[in-house]
Amino acid sequence: MSDSAHRLTEGGLIDRRKPLSFTFDGQPYSGFDGDTLASALLGAGVKVVGRSFKYHRPRGILSAGCEEPNALVELRTGARREPNTRATVAELYEGLEARSQNRWPSLALDVGAINSLLSPIFVAGFYYKTFMWPAAFWEKVYEPLIRRAAGLGMATHEADPDRYEKAHAFCDVLIIGGGPAGLAAALSAGRAGARVILCDEDFVVGGRLNAERLEIEGSSGADWARRAEAELRSFGDVRIMPRTTVFGAYDSGISGARTFGALERVSDHLRVPAPHQPRQRLWKIVASRAVLAAGAVERPIVFGGNDRPGVMLASAVRTYVNRFGVAPARQAAVFTSGDDGWKTLSDLAAAGIGVAAVIDARNDVPPALLAAAQRVSARVFTGAHVADARGSHGIHRISIRAGNRIEHVDVDGLAVSGGWNPCAALTTHVGGRPRWSETISAFVPGDLPAGMSVAGAAGGSLTLEAALREGAAAGAEAAAATGFAGAEIPSWRTSEDSAAARPFWHVGECPSKAFVDFQHDVTDGDIALAAREGYRSVELLKRYTTLGMATDQGKTSSLNGHAIMAALTERSIPEVGTTTARPPYTPVAIGAFAGHHRGKEFKPTRLTAGHAWARQNTEVFVEAGQWLRAQWFPRPGEHDWLESVSREVKAVRSSAGVCDVSTLGKIDIQGADAGAFLDRVYINTFSTLPMGKVRYGLMLREDGFVMDDGTTARLGETHYVMSTTTANAAKVMQHLEHARQVLWPELDVQMVSVTEQWAQYAVAGPSSRRLLEGLLGDVIDLSNTAFPYLACAQLAWRGVPVRLFRISFSGEMAYEIAIPARHGDALIRAIMTAGQEFGAVPYGTEALGVMRIEKGHVAGNELNGTTTAGDLGLGRMLSKKKDCIGRVLSGRPGLIDPDRPTLVGVRPVDRKARLHAGAHFLNLGAAATLENDQGYITSVAYSPMLEGWIALGLLARGPSRHGERLLAHSPVRGGDTEVEVVSPIFFDPEGTRLHG
Amino acid sequence: MAESLASRSAFSCLLVAVGNGRGVTAIDRDGLGLATIAVRKGSRNALSQRIRDEFRIELPGGPTRAAAGEVAFAGIAPGSWLAMRDQGGNAFAASLAQSTAGLASVTDQSDGYAVLRLTGPMVRAALAKLLPIDLHPRAFQVGAVASTVASHMGVTVWRLPDTGGAAVFELAVFRSLAESFWHALAEGAAEFGLAVGRPC
Repeated sequence: MSDSAHRLTEGGLIDRRKPLSFTFDGQPYSGFDGDTLASALLGAGVKVVGRSFKYHRPRGILSAGCEEPNALVELRTGARREPNTRATVAELYEGLEARSQNRWPSLALDVGAINSLLSPIFVAGFYYKTFMWPAAFWEKVYEPLIRRAAGLGMATHEADPDRYEKAHAFCDVLIIGGGPAGLAAALSAGRAGARVILCDEDFVVGGRLNAERLEIEGSSGADWARRAEAELRSFGDVRIMPRTTVFGAYDSGISGARTFGALERVSDHLRVPAPHQPRQRLWKIVASRAVLAAGAVERPIVFGGNDRPGVMLASAVRTYVNRFGVAPARQAAVFTSGDDGWKTLSDLAAAGIGVAAVIDARNDVPPALLAAAQRVSARVFTGAHVADARGSHGIHRISIRAGNRIEHVDVDGLAVSGGWNPCAALTTHVGGRPRWSETISAFVPGDLPAGMSVAGAAGGSLTLEAALREGAAAGAEAAAATGFAGAEIPSWRTSEDSAAARPFWHVGECPSKAFVDFQHDVTDGDIALAAREGYRSVELLKRYTTLGMATDQGKTSSLNGHAIMAALTERSIPEVGTTTARPPYTPVAIGAFAGHHRGKEFKPTRLTAGHAWARQNTEVFVEAGQWLRAQWFPRPGEHDWLESVSREVKAVRSSAGVCDVSTLGKIDIQGADAGAFLDRVYINTFSTLPMGKVRYGLMLREDGFVMDDGTTARLGETHYVMSTTTANAAKVMQHLEHARQVLWPELDVQMVSVTEQWAQYAVAGPSSRRLLEGLLGDVIDLSNTAFPYLACAQLAWRGVPVRLFRISFSGEMAYEIAIPARHGDALIRAIMTAGQEFGAVPYGTEALGVMRIEKGHVAGNELNGTTTAGDLGLGRMLSKKKDCIGRVLSGRPGLIDPDRPTLVGVRPVDRKARLHAGAHFLNLGAAATLENDQGYITSVAYSPMLEGWIALGLLARGPSRHGERLLAHSPVRGGDTEVEVVSPIFFDPEGTRLHG
Repeated sequence: MAESLASRSAFSCLLVAVGNGRGVTAIDRDGLGLATIAVRKGSRNALSQRIRDEFRIELPGGPTRAAAGEVAFAGIAPGSWLAMRDQGGNAFAASLAQSTAGLASVTDQSDGYAVLRLTGPMVRAALAKLLPIDLHPRAFQVGAVASTVASHMGVTVWRLPDTGGAAVFELAVFRSLAESFWHALAEGAAEFGLAVGRPC
């Protein structure tokens, strides 16, 4: 068929000088700049564009907008392959590749169409009834079967090569929809001086103005829209966002401004996004006021064969004729229940397309309309219905039922108008309920979200005059509400149009299948079945038949289905009610919600000042919250992590090692009451800590369980610096801020996180002192008397302020040295250079963990939110002389129960056996039941010093059971290990190494 | 004294121009002396007087920034400010602590924050992709300060007087986030063109 078979020679908003070639199912076609894929296909004479979901019936193009239920196609290839795109909103571009979906082997011949012959089986509730039993079949047979049959199209398995991004916008007035009402609202609000954002989902603003032959101030609607757009673009504070769908209305803040979600299709109309351009952009728009001018969606009528290719919404027929210069048919008929449908007659005739008949469900039709039909020699049937449309790959005949008479008329296109459904979805997203309008026989917005008004067809006012009038008023009112009052409300003269209509939904007793929901293949018979079986509530109807549950959310189907249910159950439509529309209004790609947060950018990464140095020495990093920490530093020839980690531990214990501990939380605490404050948050006392000293502290949550531990140093009379664990840094800061601001505002305490200010390195091992003496020179005396265990000092080294702490997590003589982070890189390099003569090694978090387990120091595995100070063997730290957060509740009977699991060390009886964290303790011979549970292993390590696996655990009455033998039961890791309970301090129990 | 210790900007090796460089210019503010200063209980008036005497600056009572010469104070919380001095380095916090001794708690943050100055004709459009706050000239005036988030990272932002007809913002993020922050900024600013200006 020739490419231009259905293309009119003139008219429309397409550029005939710019032809664009594209393919559909591999066939080459051409369209024009300004086309959608749908208009280009229709222009090329393509009628069948897909197969339906359940029955695999050939389907054509029903609409010209986002409501399209049929023309879902797969666009592009390779990594950009994109299923389920509505051809009616896909902008044509040069080289576009489109394919039909849901068919095999081809669109014309589809084996799945056998489902249609089996349709008595595939009725509503099919899955519920068929796949009930035998239950054993579910996983093996039914689910794979359903999964294969389900869904539309195929997603690509390759990573999306395009970028997506998020952005924020703010305005006084958000206008949703750029049709006549939206443009009028934007003009009046913009002229008043308000900050206006106008979003329109189309790539040309104007809405129905581009699709109808109505006039404003004597010029075409489309021309008026261009002029309005130009004026709006001349305002500095007005932003027009085409290709942007406002898909959701969300909460409003205290200022009353409401947040909206919008998707801008930045590059969907291009083969490949321009350099540095995202494919799509997700907008969060915060608007003080919003005007919903989203228009309305035309309703199909339910009759036999109403899904046949060639049956199209009347408004869509006019869009294709007027906007795209496309003749969807050569000889058409119009089936309507209102005046609006009659516009199609005159538009088709004006384009030179034959109109064989107009069928109006009403008995009384205005004489002017009848006269128009007479002028173009179209037959008119009033009080009549189309009962059937024939032609599976494009209709060729319709059957008209007028009274008892049936007449057949040969046409290749049928324009259908059952009335209009306002696009009110955004008014219901935050809880509003739509209201039934007798005037237009549709649901219109009911209670509006605060700050939102509705104008034009979205509110049920279906004429052009009303759209402009209401839009201008709403825009002015919204502008005035945001402080831009006083501007004159514009008004415009329009040509006449009429929206008079009689509700009409369903042609009964049709000879063939009559579809309600095209996308989910729900027929009038399915609605009747649901009614018979008692699924009469709209919510049950929806779930039983899947009416309105497709990706189009029932834009063209829900009301027809509900009206049929109302008739079947002899209720009114308002009594039957309607289902709730939820965001998004139209589908939004997950990629848009992810934005640039994909792969390594899923969350921010925090890098220490020494990261560049670490990166030069290892590739093994572990995520600790957002931080990356070196896990170990492999050396050439080492075969696995255990070899590297064991070497690091031995090096530290024999000479010296260096570990980046910058990630630990550091909180600067100052003020006259800083000491008193610390006494209240720690279980032990800090107000008595001498200046220049460090103390280990433990803090509880209000409920008495341990929250965190760490050391706090006293730098000055009113100045402390606290350290926290890496994992709990933010939580502790929050806890302290709560205590300071809420619990004890009377205390003179100021605090701020200094985690990021200081790069800090642990230098540990018997050679650590000599290493630091070499590094620091004579700026400090590090002898045991001058700088003993738990001393701290501030000093200047090479002109830079440095903090030195003599603290140890490894059990060795050790120091932590802190320096402003910009010098962190230089410091680690200087330490390593100074350490060369001692064979100092860098060590990672694994060696850190091994050494702390060898020393029985608790860490995250033990500070797990279920342990008390007593459980960890730290109960004696709890000062009796003062109160602190958590003290009272830590005395609850359950928390001081002597049977509570308490910290112990564990070694396998067979010293070569391996232990597993998470294994539960059982008395030897006891059954593995919950009642017999004695506790569990929290931390496991291979100790290179003890040359065997060691573990820390929490064991009922643990401290009194040293020497006892138990079973460590680990069903998930396959194995029971006999273990011996020992002191948790495996290495250097006397602590002599600590003091050097 | 030994040779001075090498210093490494948080944005070291990160700042690379993208695209035509015409929309947004980023300038590393490494070297900016930064300190948080929090008033001691009952010393608000005395502190204000001390700051007035010392710097000829009126301590702001809200989220605004007051500057005189090389020094500025930005309100970041009740009774708390981020003080800054061009090229002040770590010495700034020490001298500020001395001059406000007994009236305020001063904490050096010169290394805790990585600060970028952003300007250029498209700076607002680029920042709209990062910050969930309204940067319209009426809503965020010269001197305005906000503590907010940028792409899931905490950020403090303030607006400086316009230069060359373009708005100027400075953004402070925790130093460790510099790479993630730059990545998020560069991704969004790329389409406008991102240039790297000389440090100031």
